[in-house]
Amino acid sequence: MNGREKEEYLREYEILKKKGKPFFPYAIMKDSVMMVIVVAVMIAMSVIMGAEQGPKADPTTTTYVPRPEWYFFYLFELLKVIKPPALVPLATIGIPTIAMVLLLLLPFYDRGPERIPWRRPIATITGILVIIAMAYLTFLGANAGSPTEIELETPAQFERGKQIVAETGCLACHSIGENGAHGGLGPDLTHIGSKIPPAAIKRSVEIGPGIMPSFRDLGEKDLNQVADYLSSLD
Amino acid sequence: MKLSLPKRKSKQAEPAVADGDAEAAAAEPGPSRSEKRARKIAAGKHHSAEGGKDVAGWVDSRTNSTGIYTALLARHVPKGTNWFYTLGSATMFIFAMQAITGVFLAMYYTPSTTQAYASITHLTNDVFMGEFVRGMHKWGSSLMIILIFLHMGRTFFFGAYKYPRELNWVIGVVLLVLTTVMGLTGYLLPFDQRSLWATVVANNITASGPVVGPYLADFLRAGPEVGATTLSRFYALHMMLIPGLIAALIGAHLFLVVKLGTTAPPWVKATRPKGALGEETVPAGVPSPDDAEVPVGQAAASEPTPEETPVSEPAADPADAGGPDAGNAGEEPADPGAEPADDGEASA
Ligand code: HEM
Repeated sequence: MNGREKEEYLREYEILKKKGKPFFPYAIMKDSVMMVIVVAVMIAMSVIMGAEQGPKADPTTTTYVPRPEWYFFYLFELLKVIKPPALVPLATIGIPTIAMVLLLLLPFYDRGPERIPWRRPIATITGILVIIAMAYLTFLGANAGSPTEIELETPAQFERGKQIVAETGCLACHSIGENGAHGGLGPDLTHIGSKIPPAAIKRSVEIGPGIMPSFRDLGEKDLNQVADYLSSLD
Repeated sequence: MKLSLPKRKSKQAEPAVADGDAEAAAAEPGPSRSEKRARKIAAGKHHSAEGGKDVAGWVDSRTNSTGIYTALLARHVPKGTNWFYTLGSATMFIFAMQAITGVFLAMYYTPSTTQAYASITHLTNDVFMGEFVRGMHKWGSSLMIILIFLHMGRTFFFGAYKYPRELNWVIGVVLLVLTTVMGLTGYLLPFDQRSLWATVVANNITASGPVVGPYLADFLRAGPEVGATTLSRFYALHMMLIPGLIAALIGAHLFLVVKLGTTAPPWVKATRPKGALGEETVPAGVPSPDDAEVPVGQAAASEPTPEETPVSEPAADPADAGGPDAGNAGEEPADPGAEPADDGEASA
């Protein structure tokens, strides 16, 4: 907006304000109705859904599937969309940071005088696309399959390892056969045995490379069974 | 929604000074209207209708609370203001609810790895209304996130971030970040499996960030593993630092809202009376270099447009307690040149 457009805006605004109504009681009335609705929803949610308490935090059992609060799903899912390990920092920090900076600086690069949504299609369409993308990623996050089941057939001697993998929540990030997080945070493990030697598999589970948590606390015996099971996948 | 208030009430509620006139008054030579009011107050003639007149007058003469009242409540919201404009105050309201329920939770919560979980169990199962208050706080956090996004969406699609409200947008984005940080830090506090492992992953994610990532993650974790120190750190952030920042920034945000006024919906245009005005309203010859800074509150106040003259005229009479806006409050404005004001809802 140039100086004249600014003046014009202020003048027009002054007129609209004169023609408007006093904040009290008109705007306050609407605000109060809205607040009553908000409290009612809050109370209803609290009464209906309560506040459940999960099992006590236990740093030594790694059988828990990390799930963020639902309003972080879209960030979480973003990590899954971007797979190459080299690009992970981009997904974790890069894109959200860039998005926040773009959001913060919006008034400084969108300086046109037009405010009507349908007369500034670039801003409006971008806004709608961002909303759709966030809604879609949130939906994906909410529907990530049950991560405690592996249907892929396994020889009997690896059953125990398979069970540990299923219970330990590896499938929150990885996929095995049909199950788990396809396109998840971690790579697909269906053929992991043919890609990495058993010792390397065990080491990965133990130390938790990159953003993966360490599963050292499973103990030597379970770690070996997990490694044996995963090595059998080829 | 059409409120029909008894005339008397709306008169009482409207002090002599019209919205936005504080600046205009300051520019007037001679005794300003606020001075006149001050004299009136000093003479004890103010609030004559109320029983507690002395108390009110006493407080008023020391705080100028009528001035505050005028600035906050009697200010006008522009024509066309609709339900979308309630989202900001709804967000603020829910922040206040979070603060209140949070205080009650803090009365029972112990931020230590050995006791946190048990204190939540006790609160949930034994304390009167404990689970209810916890539920309010927990679901309130989700609602606050929803409302803040809706409010941001409203200001985005209405172009409300443009001149002269750029700063308010910037403050808003910081508020958005702080609100999500509240969600993140609060999630760890119940210290169940969910909390712990989500925090471990969040921390690993932070650590994967370039340059500052590992340091920030180390700082937040405050130890080799997510544990006791992490919990107390998150607790302090969640209880003190972040809410304090949010409260202060909401203050700044609202200060600017009051100072600049809220936008009108972009499709609502002021129709200028035909004939007389037109050209004069926008002085075509005024040299205004591109991007010149136009200080708010000057362009409009220093060169009153013809529309303003009849409106502000009666305000000059300090004896008229009804003020110029009483007419607007009770009935449609009688501005002859103006289009009939619509109710706002029509354009929602
Ligand atoms: C704790 C969070 C926030 C609170 C309590 C809050 C509160 C408010 C209130 C009460 C208003 C008055 C008008 C209305 O309600 O629509 C307002 C206006 C505004 N807010 Fe916020 N807000 C918050 C966050 C944000 C965010 C995240 C943004 C954008 C990034 C933002 C940008 C704006 C802008 C640009 C205005 C001026 C709108 C206009 O004049 O039409 N706010 N805010």
